[in-house]
Amino acid sequence: MTVRVALIGNPNTGKSVVFNNLTGSRQHVGNWPGKTVEKKEGKCTHKGVEMEIVDLPGTYSLTARAIDELIARDYLIEERPDVVVDIVDASNIERNLYLALLLMELEVRLVIALNMLDMAESKGYKIDVEGLSKNLGVQIVPTVATEKRGMEELKDAILQAAEEEEKRHHHIVPSYGEDIEKVITKLTKIVQKDQDLVERYPPRWLAIRILEQDEDALQRVKGSLIEGELLEATR
Amino acid sequence: MNPASKEDLEVILADRRYELISRLLEKTVTRGENRWTLSDLLDKALLDKYVGIPIFLAIAWAMFQFTYLVSTPFMDMIHIFFVWLSEYAALIPNELLASFIGKGLIGGVGFILAFVAPISFLFFCIALLEDSGYLARAAFVMDRIMFKLGLHGRSFIPMLLGFGCNIPAVMATRSIEGEKDRMITILVNPFISCSARLPIYVLFAGALLGAYVGSAIWSMYILGILVAILSALLFRKTLFKGEPAPFILELPTFRRPTLKAAAIHMWDRTSIFLRKVFTYLLTGAIALWVLSTFPWGADVENSYAGMIGHTLEPIFQPLGFGWRGAVAFIFGFMAKEVIVETFGILYAVEGKTAISAAIAHSMTPLSGFAFMAFSLLYIPCLAMVATIRKETGSWKWTGFTVLYGVVVAYLVAAIIVGLGKLLGLA
Repeated sequence: MTVRVALIGNPNTGKSVVFNNLTGSRQHVGNWPGKTVEKKEGKCTHKGVEMEIVDLPGTYSLTARAIDELIARDYLIEERPDVVVDIVDASNIERNLYLALLLMELEVRLVIALNMLDMAESKGYKIDVEGLSKNLGVQIVPTVATEKRGMEELKDAILQAAEEEEKRHHHIVPSYGEDIEKVITKLTKIVQKDQDLVERYPPRWLAIRILEQDEDALQRVKGSLIEGELLEATR
Repeated sequence: MNPASKEDLEVILADRRYELISRLLEKTVTRGENRWTLSDLLDKALLDKYVGIPIFLAIAWAMFQFTYLVSTPFMDMIHIFFVWLSEYAALIPNELLASFIGKGLIGGVGFILAFVAPISFLFFCIALLEDSGYLARAAFVMDRIMFKLGLHGRSFIPMLLGFGCNIPAVMATRSIEGEKDRMITILVNPFISCSARLPIYVLFAGALLGAYVGSAIWSMYILGILVAILSALLFRKTLFKGEPAPFILELPTFRRPTLKAAAIHMWDRTSIFLRKVFTYLLTGAIALWVLSTFPWGADVENSYAGMIGHTLEPIFQPLGFGWRGAVAFIFGFMAKEVIVETFGILYAVEGKTAISAAIAHSMTPLSGFAFMAFSLLYIPCLAMVATIRKETGSWKWTGFTVLYGVVVAYLVAAIIVGLGKLLGLA
């Protein structure tokens, strides 16, 4: 079997270094379909399992406004990689986790590579990796990509995540507080009425995007029988 | 449901996410006491509202001064080598072949090859600045000005990339949110002085401006940035009205740059240049040699190149560029280095090897300076035009950048010559 892995992360987190470490010379550079944006793919074999690794553009968020973000988001939605590795800069963990939350909403099989841990420690941060991992319900692998530290562990974690059953992720469901959750629940229920949408998108994810009036998500529900009902509910 | 507007909800949800994150991190992450690191102290000065820009300008000036001083002996050596080689080429019995090798290949390709020295040294310096983390700070300082002027801050990052080559810079604009901001950034990017212009500055400033070479080269880079910013402002007010979106710019901590990384970066740029020399610039040299040697037997002034140059000469008459300049600009569309090559070949065909002296003889320092500015601004190179077409998806805007560039170049060159004459410089 082949495990399809997508690497994602904020800019400047050492994502490319992780990609290079994992794939070595087995890389292929092409373009994203219809775009002039460079697409890097590579392969690696770990414990007899072949992994196909795609390096997604660095991004802070997953709104559909900049081309980079749109590419990353489309890939995650349309291609549904087996495992998504979010490279998190440990010394900027607060902002970096924002993307991680969005990924959890997309219900991907998530592994976090907590990179640049050495830098964070020299800045005086102390991170309880195990505790954080438990809180998030996500495997967290500490890495120092520039020194190739943690790469074997990262590959192990990817394989382990790939074996998780479909639709049964262990991560938490990011909660928005009672008032907003009420609306999200209502919207989610409406989305669930359209079997076609449910098959393509995580319903809760779609509900939140609709609540945010995300242009791309509004396009995706266009023409659905529940479109009117959804829009009504957000008013 | 609260009657909250769209934007509000997006912001509220983002806020809640951050709240959730801080709750998650509360028990698992402890921050050390806020120590002032050396990096913070440096930033205090480098990012300062008032001294930040002067520091940036000073560092850039020192970089160009250093580049020119260090590369000159290497350039001289390479030049002497090719002059020596061309003496051997002259011994070839077949006159046509002798001319092709001696004047076309050695005069053109050999001449441009010498500029490998300043390109290598400049990119060595840029790599050091980039790896140390300073370049990102320069972007930050510039961003503050640009944002005040109503431009998208992220615009400056593609611009910084443009110092290497404008093409990847235009491609990098895809990270800019909003089509208007992106278009503006693409349209002004050709004004950022890429490495292909460096040989032109080195040749003309070196030949004409004596002690001010480093400053003159530096001023071209600043001119490019200024024209880009002013043009962006103009486009924002006329073609693409609207407010820029704010953005986060991340500043990496200062690091000690390594020689190895800088050397790799330098070799990247140098090898790109070398590849260009033996493909584009070789083709350019052959074309130019043919045009300046034929009709066979005529002197250069009456060759095809001479005819083209003399036809266009009146346009550049007020600027004092001469007919050779006109020929150079036509062929410079292929790649800007071809401008330098043109002078090399035209003079070689005339039998001259001391190109700098020949330039000093045919152009005033003031015209030379205007010539540098015109070369910088007048038209993006062929590959760049193709990239702009691809990225904007529009022939209309591509044609616009070309025309706009020519007009701006002529205006700026005319202003330089006019002001210079007013000030009594000739």
